[in-house]
Amino acid sequence: MRRSVVRAVIVVAAVAAAVILFVVFGGLGGTDETASEAGDAGPQTTQPDSTPTEPANTVTEVAEPEQPAPQVKRIQVRDGAPMGGVARLEYERGERIRFAVFSDTADEVHVHGFDLAKDVAANGSVRFDFRADIEGVYEVELEGAHVQIAELRIEP
Amino acid sequence: MIRIRRVGPACLAAIGVGLALPAPAAAHGLTGRADLPIPEWLFAWAAAVVLIVSFVGLAMLWRSPQLEKDNAFRPLPRELSRLVVNPVTETFAAVLGVGLLVVTVWSGLAGVQAPQENFAPTFVYVVFWVGLVVVSIAFGDVFRALNPWRAIGRATGFVTRLLGFRTKPLFAYPSRLGRWPAAAGLLGFAWLELVFSGGDDPSVLAIAVLVYTAVTFGAMACFGTEAWISRGESFSAYFNLFSRISSVTVKGGRLGLRRPLTGMSTLEPLPGTVALLVVMIGNVMFDGASEGSPWVDVAPDIQVFFVDLGFGFTTALELTYSIGLAIALAIVAAIYAVGVVGMRAIDHRPTMTIGRLFAHTLVPIAAAYVLAHYFSLLAYNGQAIAFISSDPLGKGWDLFGTAGGTIDYALVGATVIWYVQVAVLIGGHACGLVLSHDRALSQYGKAQSAATSQYWMLAVMVAFTTTGLFLLSQANQ
Repeated sequence: MRRSVVRAVIVVAAVAAAVILFVVFGGLGGTDETASEAGDAGPQTTQPDSTPTEPANTVTEVAEPEQPAPQVKRIQVRDGAPMGGVARLEYERGERIRFAVFSDTADEVHVHGFDLAKDVAANGSVRFDFRADIEGVYEVELEGAHVQIAELRIEP
Repeated sequence: MIRIRRVGPACLAAIGVGLALPAPAAAHGLTGRADLPIPEWLFAWAAAVVLIVSFVGLAMLWRSPQLEKDNAFRPLPRELSRLVVNPVTETFAAVLGVGLLVVTVWSGLAGVQAPQENFAPTFVYVVFWVGLVVVSIAFGDVFRALNPWRAIGRATGFVTRLLGFRTKPLFAYPSRLGRWPAAAGLLGFAWLELVFSGGDDPSVLAIAVLVYTAVTFGAMACFGTEAWISRGESFSAYFNLFSRISSVTVKGGRLGLRRPLTGMSTLEPLPGTVALLVVMIGNVMFDGASEGSPWVDVAPDIQVFFVDLGFGFTTALELTYSIGLAIALAIVAAIYAVGVVGMRAIDHRPTMTIGRLFAHTLVPIAAAYVLAHYFSLLAYNGQAIAFISSDPLGKGWDLFGTAGGTIDYALVGATVIWYVQVAVLIGGHACGLVLSHDRALSQYGKAQSAATSQYWMLAVMVAFTTTGLFLLSQANQ
């Protein structure tokens, strides 16, 4: 008798706690989602060091009418190291990734995960343009110097 | 394994003299990929579910030990058992194990010294260290059959007996040693993987394997093959603990089943068992912590401190990471100690005795940590074994016609990884609670005493699980 009462009380307490937690955390989750959306909008609009896209690629604009004109981000490498630290390029899956690497030393630029590699000449530049079709955090690396120059973050 | 390369440039920037310093020895890790942190909403939901699981666990407390009452071995049909466990399969597994050991050392020494193009790093860190954990959890102690050191030890014993010599170990295995040598060896492996800057270098790995092999042979010669393998040998102890999660087991040469979880409650409480589990959980905890805050914020400062003391850049980084690993082990030990000391409210035996009696409750936690942290490594880099085994030395061979393969990163998405990570942590949490409660019942008899003894153990499990979730939410922010 008493045992079952105790059990019932514990179950009720657990359910009550569950409801409270779900409300509290659920509410938190909701605000966080909106907060992070707002936060995401921030960096996207404030990417000052990226050059605006030339209106040349109207073909892809037509093919992907929903996407804003992708910006070509610039990664400047001096003495085998990225200026201003490891650049962080953020995308959502399906978006178009475009960036250019300017280097004062000759090396090979390797985009991990996508497994793209292009040589860059001394005081030259190399451009990448591909689809963000996989998710995760991937290194962009100067293969010869073994230095990470950027990270691609592709969210689902 | 990944992050040490990441911290490198960050440290360079922090030091400010970075360009004058050489880059870390192995700037190229096994992977150029990291997981996205679990989103905050998922973290919150998971934490809530952990608490609910704990509450419901409390509500449904059973009153007499269930797992320890019935842990009988249920043999499978003799024909089925013979099909799996027979001299041919045993020999095949032993030869396979020795063969893989030889290929690992050979490719490590003779192959291209690039972690991603050489067989040794992917095999050791992905297939062996993580993949075999999954296999052990699913199918039981498979490593016992594959263990190359055991195979060579047994073969040597067999040959010497054939030649008419009496083989007797030089010493009896000291019972005080228990699982301590295994814990020490595993710590060495964790240090090589997570701290040492050359840990990904194929030749370094091959030499480490050779040194470990030599130590194991020496120890087997001293104490006898079975005695050393069953207690002192690190990887036997490591995989054996995980295999206890499985229902599949072999007893007296017969394949059979046991009730789920009873494999863990029959763990012998030997000295060093707690230490072994602390290393097993702590090394993964550190690997996870090293990918995010607060570690990446403080690590450069510690490194600068060592550089100022006159250490080289790489040595300073290794010292910093050694401290990080030690802190992680201390945290794990401290969390567990809280639960054990909490039980002293009703159990007046020495703390170490109680600690060993409840050590098995940490096995599911350790498994959850490994699976959550390394799931993506296994899912992605595990694929690499298909093409890297076709060209183990990285010299352009194509033994099996698969050398042209690449890793398919679209195989699982970030969302699947998040859900797997959260699910295994919650599952491990639930299993830990069940085992702990059951052991308390068998130790303390009365349900009320058992429940009282478990308040702090509940806190221990919650602490491990929420720490795991927290690290996943902090990683690679």
